[in-house]
Amino acid sequence: MDIFGSYALLLSFAFAVYAIVGGIAAIITRHPLLIKSARNAGFAVCVLIWMGTASMVYLFYTDNFSMVYVAAHSNRSLAPYYKFSALWSGQEGSLLFWSFLLSIYVFSVLFTYRGKHPELMPYVGVVMAGVQIFFLTMNNFIASPYQVFAGAGAGGLMHMVTRADGSGLNPLLQYPEMAIHPPTLYSGYTGFTIPFAFALAALLGRYPGEKWIHLTRRWTMIAWAFQSAGILLGAHWAYAVLGWGGYWGWDPVENASLMPWLTGTAFLHSVIMQEKRGMMRVWNVWLVFLTFMLCILGTSLTRSGAVNSVHAFAESNIGHWFWGFLLTIIIVCLAAYFKNKDYLRSDNQLDSMLSRESSFLFNNLILLVACVAVLAGTLFPVLSEAVRGSKISVGPPFFNRVNIPIAMFLLFLTGVGPLLAWRKTSVESLKKNFGYPLIGGCIAALIAVVMGLREFYVGLCLLLGVFVTLTILNEFYRGARVIAARTGANLISSAAQLTMRNTRRYGGYVVHFGMVLVFIGISGTAFNQDKQMDMSAGSVMELGPYRMHLQNFDSDQQPNYSSERATIDVDRGGRSVMMLYPTRRFYPSNQESGTMVAISSTLREDLYVVYAGTNPDTNLPVIHAYLNPLVKWIWLGGVVVVLGTILALIPNRQAVMVMSAAPATGGSLLPGDPLRVPASYSARSQLPGQHE
Amino acid sequence: MNRRNRLALICAAFVGLASAMIPLHMDAQKTDRAKSVGTKLMCMCGCGQILTQCNHINCPSSGPMLKELDAHVAKGEADDLIVQDFIQEYTEKVLSAPPSTGFNSIAWYIPGAAFVLGLGIVIVLIRMWRQRDIDRLASASSAPVNAATQLRDVHLDRAREQADRETEEL
Repeated sequence: MDIFGSYALLLSFAFAVYAIVGGIAAIITRHPLLIKSARNAGFAVCVLIWMGTASMVYLFYTDNFSMVYVAAHSNRSLAPYYKFSALWSGQEGSLLFWSFLLSIYVFSVLFTYRGKHPELMPYVGVVMAGVQIFFLTMNNFIASPYQVFAGAGAGGLMHMVTRADGSGLNPLLQYPEMAIHPPTLYSGYTGFTIPFAFALAALLGRYPGEKWIHLTRRWTMIAWAFQSAGILLGAHWAYAVLGWGGYWGWDPVENASLMPWLTGTAFLHSVIMQEKRGMMRVWNVWLVFLTFMLCILGTSLTRSGAVNSVHAFAESNIGHWFWGFLLTIIIVCLAAYFKNKDYLRSDNQLDSMLSRESSFLFNNLILLVACVAVLAGTLFPVLSEAVRGSKISVGPPFFNRVNIPIAMFLLFLTGVGPLLAWRKTSVESLKKNFGYPLIGGCIAALIAVVMGLREFYVGLCLLLGVFVTLTILNEFYRGARVIAARTGANLISSAAQLTMRNTRRYGGYVVHFGMVLVFIGISGTAFNQDKQMDMSAGSVMELGPYRMHLQNFDSDQQPNYSSERATIDVDRGGRSVMMLYPTRRFYPSNQESGTMVAISSTLREDLYVVYAGTNPDTNLPVIHAYLNPLVKWIWLGGVVVVLGTILALIPNRQAVMVMSAAPATGGSLLPGDPLRVPASYSARSQLPGQHE
Repeated sequence: MNRRNRLALICAAFVGLASAMIPLHMDAQKTDRAKSVGTKLMCMCGCGQILTQCNHINCPSSGPMLKELDAHVAKGEADDLIVQDFIQEYTEKVLSAPPSTGFNSIAWYIPGAAFVLGLGIVIVLIRMWRQRDIDRLASASSAPVNAATQLRDVHLDRAREQADRETEEL
């Protein structure tokens, strides 16, 4: 099976080369058979990668310890579900997994657009195959997961050596979320290849107008949703597994995932400008390029060891391949741009400073500044070392100080943007739209201050959070009210109808609301408390309103690990409210320890208890407890963001035709767009929510 | 729902939200000085964590460093002095954020410079695009207008006015 998988990957590399060469020939000759042949080669690449990956999974499940990668990341007693996730737990396997996920996207694109867009798809196929070739080069020649143990036998002949057992999976990865987080995040990274391929293809092929944007919108949203979910799942994994009481440490690997998310978010917004007004063509193409470049840059940082990271990948030496690939991408993008930049020329016009267009410009500015801030902080130690010969640390205090004001500005724009009309917004309408939400936000902040809140940014976050929430509710309410008036349905069902008529717009609002929840959750960090104690049975620790009575310790022996568990009775106000069982595990196969944090989570706060180990001085178990307010809002916000994105991906439902008598002087018009066609011209086929 | 009821509902919602947040603040413990100074320092074991957040039991670095920090605080030394002592012992790498002086202070200016530069570009773009719009309108008004165009403009203006009126009601 090892040979099968290895050959499958080699063959897929050969097919990928053909997909590029054949694709280029097809572009030049426009020969239909060549176009079809290159596309079929693209399909073959994907199927072969699937075979190669399936073969590796099989090797894990059959405990084939003649394979170096399997032996390094699994052992016989590893739980079956972790044998699957062990696939991406190391450098070589994670690169194979990257190829695997990319191949799913590539296959889907080739299949979805087979026989369509003949001027564009050969270019798309070539770009996608180009990206696949790089990763297949890694999989086959640089970091192959199919290396075997070999030893010299009698007569000097090499033969395969099989180990009795493997080293086991890193304990930190033996956690259910680790079976979900990497695939989700990688699906985000790899997914951005698709808009990149379309953008570059459209530029190279001078594909007309905004069509490539329409074609890739859903792919971009899918990638963005995966990236968002992946980042939050990673944060949750860090929170629940690493046992330091936090969820985001501004580690380079975390930053690497955040940067393409920021530019991807900017793209999702600015692309609307191109769709609606034909503006920002150059900017959008470069945003897509930049997003993809940041995906590769992030991977380079993760795998090159250029920056210090707690992630094991940082110790590898394949970084220069990624730097080379990144350089190639930059050169290709620049060459394509300078060759065909005239094609991207757009007649950008702005009717007014107070318009949706300018809000998108500021939105993009802020997201890009946030990205620059994260990038600067991540790379500055490298720069400092290059210039001064010594590395410095750029830790959370820097990132928090720089990014919190940026985040607040972004939150403000999240509320303002939807209130501004395209082209021009009158001051009166601005006053009317801003009035209640702003008053609402101020009242909330005022109440908070009166009740003792003294943290400036928390107060501001509360003010803006309420402001944004009210603007969103107002948008739903206004549209739903019109539908309710016309159809006689109640407000809730009208709001549902409204949403389904323009899923992208209202799904976007749901995403915004999800982000508000995330921001409020993050603001709770200002009130974190923690306490650490050496505890024995019967001792008590107090933290905030909680009293934790340590009842006893017990131990357990599992096939893959042994564990020690503390039983803690938690009471609040003299009443027992819960039992917590923080656990510490020891994995003999790799001689490592891991913590299983006990978390009691409510909307108000998390009581987070870690069995941190044993104090060598006192020989007593060390219990570290944290009281982290509002953390659950972050996870809840993440769910809302994903649901909002799914909603935005659903095709719009056709509006119900409600014919009504129209006044002779021009029928009823719809709110929002000043240029909407009067009802007397079109019946009422267009109801609120059908415009962006 | 009339305006007063709506306002009352909004107020009630805020009181709920604010009260959910505020007791947390009231309950918050005061962190001790060592903890505060500790956030300015990194653990030197390579974990990349803030000194006071390093959660490795028996960590070869954080334990001794925290003891050292406690000793400095117990002596009543000023924060800056404590941090300087740590820099002398571990180099600038011990700082959790770049210093505000010297070459490394550039890190602090990059985001601000990016913002100022970006803002400048956005403002220039907006002005340029606004000017284009003004030029377009000017050339349109100076061009001879035929009857059909006039009629279309009248309809368009009427439609805009009506849209404004109806959306105002909302």
